[in-house]
Order: sequence, then structure tokens, then C-alpha cells
Amino acid sequence: MKIVIDGIETAASPGEMLLEVARRLGVRIPTLCYHEAFGGQGVCRLCLVEVTAGEVSRLVASCTYPVTGEIEVRTTTPEIERIRRHIIMLLHRRAPGSEFIQELYREYGCQENVPAPDPDERCIMCRLCVNACEAVGACAITAVDRGTDKRIDTPYGEASPDCIGCCACAEVCPTKAIGVSRAAGHYTIWNREFELERCAGCGRPFTSRPCQERIARLSGQELSGAQLCPECRKKQAGSRVALSMIP
Amino acid sequence: MSQLATENTSNGRTILVCCGTGCQASGSLEVLASLRGLLAGEAGTAVRASTKSTGCNGLCEKGPLVKILPDDITYCQVAAEDVPDIVDGLRDGTPVQRLLYRDPVTRQRYRSHRETSFYKKQHKIALRNIGEIDPGDIRDYLDRGGYRALRTALSMTPAQVIGEVLASGLRGRGGGGFPTGRKWQSCAAADNAPRYVICNGDEGDPGAFMDRSIMEGDPHTVLEGMIICAHAVGASSGFIYVRDEYDLAVVNLHQAIRDARAAGFLGDRILGSDLSFDIEIVRGGGAFVCGEETALIASIEGHPGEPRDKYVFPAVKGLWGRPTVINNVETWANVPVIIDGGAAGFAEIGTAGSKGTKVFSLVGKVVSTGLVEVPMGATLREIVFDIGGGVPRGRSFKAVQTGGPSGGCIPGSLLDLAVDFDSLAAAGSMMGSGGLIVMDDRTCMVEVARYYVNFLAGESCGKCTPCREGISLLLETLTGITGGRGSIADLDLLESLSATVRAASLCALGRTAPNPVLSTLKYFRDEYLAHICDHRCPAGVCRELTEFYIDAGLCTGCGLCRRKCPAEAVSGEKKQPHAIDAARCIRCGECINNCRFQAVRIR
Repeated sequence: MKIVIDGIETAASPGEMLLEVARRLGVRIPTLCYHEAFGGQGVCRLCLVEVTAGEVSRLVASCTYPVTGEIEVRTTTPEIERIRRHIIMLLHRRAPGSEFIQELYREYGCQENVPAPDPDERCIMCRLCVNACEAVGACAITAVDRGTDKRIDTPYGEASPDCIGCCACAEVCPTKAIGVSRAAGHYTIWNREFELERCAGCGRPFTSRPCQERIARLSGQELSGAQLCPECRKKQAGSRVALSMIP
Repeated sequence: MSQLATENTSNGRTILVCCGTGCQASGSLEVLASLRGLLAGEAGTAVRASTKSTGCNGLCEKGPLVKILPDDITYCQVAAEDVPDIVDGLRDGTPVQRLLYRDPVTRQRYRSHRETSFYKKQHKIALRNIGEIDPGDIRDYLDRGGYRALRTALSMTPAQVIGEVLASGLRGRGGGGFPTGRKWQSCAAADNAPRYVICNGDEGDPGAFMDRSIMEGDPHTVLEGMIICAHAVGASSGFIYVRDEYDLAVVNLHQAIRDARAAGFLGDRILGSDLSFDIEIVRGGGAFVCGEETALIASIEGHPGEPRDKYVFPAVKGLWGRPTVINNVETWANVPVIIDGGAAGFAEIGTAGSKGTKVFSLVGKVVSTGLVEVPMGATLREIVFDIGGGVPRGRSFKAVQTGGPSGGCIPGSLLDLAVDFDSLAAAGSMMGSGGLIVMDDRTCMVEVARYYVNFLAGESCGKCTPCREGISLLLETLTGITGGRGSIADLDLLESLSATVRAASLCALGRTAPNPVLSTLKYFRDEYLAHICDHRCPAGVCRELTEFYIDAGLCTGCGLCRRKCPAEAVSGEKKQPHAIDAARCIRCGECINNCRFQAVRIR
């Protein structure tokens, strides 16, 4: 079906998320809680756009709005700009410790001088970490409590037996809010300490045992003794390909 | 139940003892036990009477209530000690005068509750059986025409049933006011069966107890409404999501489901038709946000109670991704009446856009608190003053808060507003599920806004940014104003931030959360300005901004304030004007609340 985004006509399949159609078209809609790997969550509300169907216009979160009919979309209006500015201002108040948010705060020209409850906070509750943790099949962290006290944590804030130390949560976090503290031979994330396994190739420490086991299981392979770090694995695969090309 | 059966068939009187939660709290179970004991001793005498425990009669203020039929006598605030007099009254046929209802304004006593101003202006549809039947006895419901609508519906095609509901103009009573018939229509039209029917009984507004009363006092009407819908949309199972604190509702609903199954109203091939449908009860976990339908559905599915965007309605994609009709308890209670009496009769009641009646829980600074059901379009004045008896203790009316915590405050100048879904929304408030909280001149409207925003800060699910962070900043700003640290710039921030929270939040909780702020800013801006510019709270509520003093010209020296003051801040000789020591005063307001001569003033 045909839809119009900021005056540009484009085709969309029924049920396709509006944000994805816009991205394909090259129209930029800002997002914080969206990731291609997980799809839309409708959490940060930064991707709000104005959708007009017939006579009726309304604001929708483009990451969770499925295209079901002919619509006209405006990705920016004075109201939308005010809302985005407010969202950034509110996230800056929540997470003033994040450089990423500080930059957005300047970029959006926010001026409200509201004191922050916690000057060191960096988490903006976008939940990408929770999605990543679910995607690797660990489900060790989630959004706990409710209302203004909502936060990301393990059950009861204790070291979770489900955490495999893969650090996908920290990797995907846009504000570097998830701390991984490293020391010789081990590291700690979400209050749980992991031994670092050494690469059988280069000898450098690279990941935890539970994480290797999970990767092996997900890829349907037996976990055999010697494990290579991603770099050595690449080298190994490369030399295999090179060898196979020698006639 | 067999004992009741023989009692019911006797030609004697029936004594109805209200055993709703309110009356139980004031001791109605003791009254019932005492009545049963004494009446057993009267066996074989001229006093032939049977007893029944009923659901809530609405006038909780005057409970425990006891009604005697067919004499049509209503006794109020009955204690177990009054029971012998009541039985004596049965013997000689004269009512016990001191237990009759006394009008709070005219002081006149009334024999029947039906004659009182509290009941006279009410029009009962959803509450039609409550207080009249024993909710634990399906025969009582059947005697009053129960399940007749189900038989009628089963003789109609599903499309005809939906047509009737559409024609009645019934709109969802849970707050949104969405046309019920249209919801059913889109569910029936969506393929992807199985379809589900859900009753939303997660009533969470502070001070609201409409749905609780219906589930406790007339559970079969909820079941009947749901079964009719199952036939109309082609659903095979239903769920009643009940707030966990509602113990009696859960007990009575379980009993009703068991009895309905035994009578063939639930289960396979209901009443010999092709319809097979059953209902189970799900107990909520105590989150206010689970009253929001998508959060409720998530909760039934076993997920955290968080809403999702509703660009596809639950009627198309609801429970476990299947088409789902979800209606509020009160909406279900209207359905049998519409099918049984016809849509046309129902549509005659109410206003152009809102048909039928609405149940309100009338609480706060009002003489007769309780549950009232009035036709849509009744004015606030009729509800608060004619039915509720106005504001007690000679204080003056200031505002009425409608629609629960995220509703708005409506000022005295709008008392003649005809209440329906659209008029309340136009006035900056909302119908919500029907809470009405009356406020008098000792209420600070800034503090009211802060109070509700604080409630919502704790009850927001915390999923989306505008609601979680926006409400937090609204609360901080309001707390600053009530604490004497406000500035004029705060008012602009409150207004513009409210607009963002309203437009950008994910669900209705966030989108309506700014209502308490915006409505008080609109109607009571002068109070905000007094807090900010004059550093005083005109209602004498915000402690940092209040100073009480005694007007020597008005003080009679009665000493009441001196005795009531917990801080010993009032001094004065008997019959001489008293004085308040501002340094010792803790601004609790005991003096001003108790003074009968308006001598305590706010500086």
C-alpha cells in the first residue's frame, strides 16, 4: 500500500512498522529504545510522529505503529519538536551522568534548569539491555519495581545464577550505564564475578565459561576443550579459506 | 441453603440485612446472627420472618442497614443490641422510630429508604438487584428475571445481539466510554479464533467501590452479560480479573460461577444451544495500572502489568494475541437489561451522547457518602446536594473531583454541568470509573494536585519516558510550590510539561495524569499564585505557608480549640478571647476544624 512520509510517497507492506518504512526511505526519525535486532518497544517515545488517516490526525510511536492503511505522516511538527525536547530534558534530569545524553541535551537546545535527583545516574530505561539479555536466552535482568522507582536489575538485586557474563547488555547500552569491572583474570557484572577463560590461540583472556557454553549450545555445537577468541577464530577461518584456495 | 428455601416459601416477612463490605465493617454479620438467633426462638409465634444477607445498598454512611419486606421499613446503623426491639416491632407491626433514617438536613424520619432524598433521585439499572437479593443464592437472581436475557439472546443471531447493544448506545463504564457494541462488532469480525471475553474488575481508584459492590452484591448479572457477549462474538472462554483485595467479591463470584454451571448457564451447550462457554477468575496483583486493559491482559498472560500501544485494539488482537472483548464490571451489568428490556428503552435514558445511567461513589466532604446511580445527564448539583445532602459542618463547597486520581477538579461555577462522558471531558476532567470526591473550603487545590500526582508517580508502570519521568518532575515542582519554594516559571513548566505527558505517554494512565494539574491550574490558578507570590496557603493546609490566628472579636472563649490542640499552642482564660502561639503551632488545623464561631482565621 502507498503511504506518504514528509511529502514523499512510498510503498509499505501491511503490518510493517512505520519507523522501518521511514528508515528504508531514508527519513530520519530519532530513537533511543529501538534496535533492529529487537524491533519497536514504544518505551522512549522519541520516535513520535503525526499520522493522518482521513480527517483524523494523531501522534503515534512510529516504532510500534503498524501500517494498515493509506496514511500521511509528518515526522516533525512544532508539537513533536517540543515533545522530543521535553523527553531529552527529562532523560537528562534522570541520567545527567551520561555523556551521550549530555550531548543530546545540547543538540536539542534544552534550557530547563531542573535539578537532578542523582548526578551520577546514566541509565535512561530504554530496556535495550533487557532485550539483549532475553535474546541470548539468559533473562537475568529485567525492569523491576514500578512508577518512578522503576529500574533495571536482577531479581532482588542479587547476583543472578542466570547471568552468563556475556556482557551483551553493556555492549548494547547507549549510555554506558552498565558497569563491568575488570581485574586480573576475572570481571564482575550485575554483582556476579566471572573467571576469564584464556584463548587457546593467543593466550589472552576473553570471556567466561558459561558464555562459551551458551554460544556452543545456541550454535548447536559441542563445547570442546580449546576455545579461541573472536580474533583468533577469524584468523583460523581465514587461513582455512586461504588453504582451500591453493590448488 | 435448604433452610433458606423453606424460609423463603413461608408467608412471613423477609428481613434483608446488608452485608456489603461497608456494613460488614460496621458489624452487620453480628446483627444477622442475632436476628437469626432471636427469630429461631420465635418459631411458631405470630412473628414469621426469614432473613437474607444482601449486597451493598449504597448508603454506607448509615450502615449496617436492615430492610423489612413487605412492610418496606428501613433501619439504619443497626447494632446487635437493637435486634430485640426490631423483633418486638415485627410483633406489633410498628417500626422502631429511633432506627429509622433521619434526613440530615430536615431532621425528618422516613419509614422507607425509598422516600429519602438519597434514594428518590436515583435510577437503578446496574445496581437494580443489589440490596434486594442474596448474592449467594441464584434463585434470588432468577426470581428477579435473571438469565431471562440470556434465553432471549440465545434465540437471536449473534448479529442481532450486537445490533441491540449498538442501538442501546451503551458506552464502556470503565472510563474510556468506547461504544460497547462497536467493540463487540470488531471482535466478532476478527478471525483468528479462539476469542475471549474479559471482565475488568481491577477497580483501583482511591475511594471508588462501584464495581466491588456489583461483584459482591449481584455477581450473576456480570456472568450473564459476559455469556451474552460470548454468544454475540463467538467466544469460548472468559476471565474475570478481580482486584486481589476484594475478598468478598471473589467468594461471591466463585459461588455464582459454580451455581451457574450447575444450572446450565455456563459450560457445554448452554441451555441446549450451540454455545459452550466458561469463566474463570484471575486475581490481580494490586497494581493500579492493571485497570488499563492492555496491562490487564499482560497480567493474565503472566507478564508484568505493563500496557502496550493500542494501535491494534484488543478486540482484534488481545489476550494471547486473539480477539478479545474486555469490558468493565458496570458495563457487563447493563447488558442483560438491554437485551431483556430492549435497546430502545435503554436509549431513552441519558443524554444524546451517553445513554443509560452511571454509578458514582460519592465520597469526601459530603453529608451522605455512598453509592449512587443516576441517569446520565444528572447535574453535579443534583448528585452532591440533592442526593448527597451537600457539604457537612456548615463549610462551603469548593470543588468536586471526578474520574479517579487522573480526573480533574470541577469548581462550583460548573455545578450545573450535566454529567456525561463528553461534558466532563470538555470541562477538563473525565468520567473515569465514576469516583466523585467532594471538597470543601478547607481543601488546598495545589495540595490536591500534588496528592494525586504523587499517587500516580507510585502507580505509573514506569515503562515510557513521559509518564515515568514527566510525572516525577510534575511532582517535584508541585511539592516545591506547596513547600513555599515555588516560582512563577514553575507554572509555565507545569503547563508545557503536562501537554507533553498528555500527548506522548503510552497509555491512558499517563495521558490523563496531568488532569489534576491542568484542571486546578485552570479553575484555581489564584491558589497557585497565593502560594507562589504571597507565600500563603488560602485553605490553611500547606504547613510551610500557613499561620492560624484567633479573631478576638469572634472568639467566645469556649476553650474547645485549646482542648483540641495537640501542641498546647492555644492559650486563654475561660470566656476570654484565646490566642495561638505561632512558634508552638504545628499547623495541624484542629482548632479551625473544630471552632464553631469561625473565630480561627488563616493569615
